[in-house]
Amino acid sequence: MEKLLDVKNMHVSFDTYGGEVQAVRGVNFSLNKGETLAIVGESGSGKSVTTKALMKLIPMPPGRIKEGEILFEGRDLTKLSEKEMQKIRGKDISMIFQDPMTSLNPTMKVGNQIAEGLIKHQKMSKSQAKARVIELLELVGIPDAENRMKQYPHQFSGGMRQRVVVAIALACNPKLLIADEPTTALDVTIQAQILELMKDIQKKTESGIIFITHDLGVVANVADRVAVMYAGRIVEIGTVDDIFYNPKHPYTWGLLGSMPSLDAEVSELYAIPGSPPDLLNPPKGDAFAPRNQYAMQIDREQEPPMFKVSDSHYAATWLLHEHAPDIDPPEAIKKRMTAMTSAVNGKGERV
Amino acid sequence: MGRYITQRLVYMVITMFLIATFTFFLMKFLPGTPLSSADRLSEEQQAIVLAKYGLDEPIPVQYFNYMVNLLQGDMGVSFQFDNREVTTIILDRIGPSLQLGFQAMVIGTILGMLLGLVSAIYHNGVLDYGSTFTAVIGQSIPSFVFAGILQYFVGVKLGWFPVALWGTWQHTVLPTIALAIFPLAIAARFMRTEMLEVMGSDYITTARAKGVNKFGVVFKHGVRNALIPLITVLGPLAIGLMTGTLVIENIFAVPGIGEQFVKSINTNDYPIIMGTTLFFAIFFILIVLIIDLLYGVIDPRIRLAEGE
Repeated sequence: MEKLLDVKNMHVSFDTYGGEVQAVRGVNFSLNKGETLAIVGESGSGKSVTTKALMKLIPMPPGRIKEGEILFEGRDLTKLSEKEMQKIRGKDISMIFQDPMTSLNPTMKVGNQIAEGLIKHQKMSKSQAKARVIELLELVGIPDAENRMKQYPHQFSGGMRQRVVVAIALACNPKLLIADEPTTALDVTIQAQILELMKDIQKKTESGIIFITHDLGVVANVADRVAVMYAGRIVEIGTVDDIFYNPKHPYTWGLLGSMPSLDAEVSELYAIPGSPPDLLNPPKGDAFAPRNQYAMQIDREQEPPMFKVSDSHYAATWLLHEHAPDIDPPEAIKKRMTAMTSAVNGKGERV
Repeated sequence: MGRYITQRLVYMVITMFLIATFTFFLMKFLPGTPLSSADRLSEEQQAIVLAKYGLDEPIPVQYFNYMVNLLQGDMGVSFQFDNREVTTIILDRIGPSLQLGFQAMVIGTILGMLLGLVSAIYHNGVLDYGSTFTAVIGQSIPSFVFAGILQYFVGVKLGWFPVALWGTWQHTVLPTIALAIFPLAIAARFMRTEMLEVMGSDYITTARAKGVNKFGVVFKHGVRNALIPLITVLGPLAIGLMTGTLVIENIFAVPGIGEQFVKSINTNDYPIIMGTTLFFAIFFILIVLIIDLLYGVIDPRIRLAEGE
């Protein structure tokens, strides 16, 4: 597998009047061609900042990439100037945004918004760009493209607008597509269509996708690998099966436990107690410790390193240390693990 | 579109009728008579003069007569200026006011917008503080203070432009600058606020994510969206400036309509009051119509559906 992106120890901070907010505190991950990595975590965990930082789209100042490397096809993006980044944005790396109602320019024709990148990056003439726009609109499933491209965003429904946003992102066949909660603002049927669309396109273009979401149902549907973020760090990373059926980090347990399921006997959903830490003054030790019922003394003193579970699976919790006591994960998680074991045995179905 | 404009013009006629009616009766409440030197005229002489202008009739009859004449395009003659036609007087006097107002508006708005843009782009930088300071000064110091300063320093000390009076284009320079400062300040403040808001919006991030450069982001995506609220404020301001500004016209001895209007109120010159009010009203309604049409040009969401 060819490595497309390699993020090494990335720190992103925002300088505010109150002090330095450490939004991302040392993130490591990589992405191969044609692969989909989902980043999950609750609001404020640093998912969006991480991906915006990859394109250097965070407002600088107050934001800054404090340290670390972002190797995209071997080039370190952190060292590129704004001008050089402009050549990469929209061409090699592009982004699908969360809210289709606000992410299109209300005073510009949809066709022109899609063509903008084409004319800039691929030096297309107006008529070439127009042909490609029609092609793209058809690709994302907008009928009557010839007329629709002359319309303005307010003449499109939410789902149709998100298709336009997808078309903008796909215009130059990017090698890396970052989707920042692309389906959160859409209703469920449209969600499924957009996800299908992204998968189809990925098959055709072989692009790598980073998919940010807090919807674990979507993760199971689209991702190859999953990174779980908490308080500006990746706390667990692994394949979809690793994370869903053999989770190791108590935070992942909490996330999975709070996911509604059709066949659960209990009608009450689990909620992780407490709220995420203030990243203006990140706590000493494991940031999750105050909310973690399995926390040990060391969790409050020292940050856990990434422990290797398998070649594809890593988790940052002291529970994986050889001296840690054996503990029982919550019931719901144990059930998942058993379901997985039976799946491996050949029969059982995914929950 | 054509139908919409026709509709608006019909409303305009109705509005004009209402304004004419209200003004007519309000004006009759003004104390005094048009006869400024009444004490030098005998009772009979006064009666003769009043009868000559039809002012001895009951007010409803006067109103009826006025409206009938107005429908025929006759606004009557002025009492104070040797019986000259109201229309001629207004047309004579409106020229300088319109020119000054228009110049001030164009210069003020354009410079103000540029200042606001610079402020927004270099948010919280030295340029931002500089232009915000200028805007605050421009908005809080009255135009006649600037007028005085300009006259003294630029007009008298430097001698670059005439201090007052009307004639060549040089005569328009100082009053135009004095008048332009207020719209400049307003435009700068609004442009700054709006641009800051627009630049923080999602579609700007989308544009940046496409690889659009800073210039493109600001001018292609930003400015147009920031203009909409600006037009709302600038429209009425433009009307105010172009219909004559008493103070500036007085200071620079410009033969504009603002000065004329006030004089006619003081002397109960009914035909002039009516004529000028109606003229302002037409002007106002037309500008409002233009602003409404401009909205459509700038913001497709406000554009009227075809055939509607």
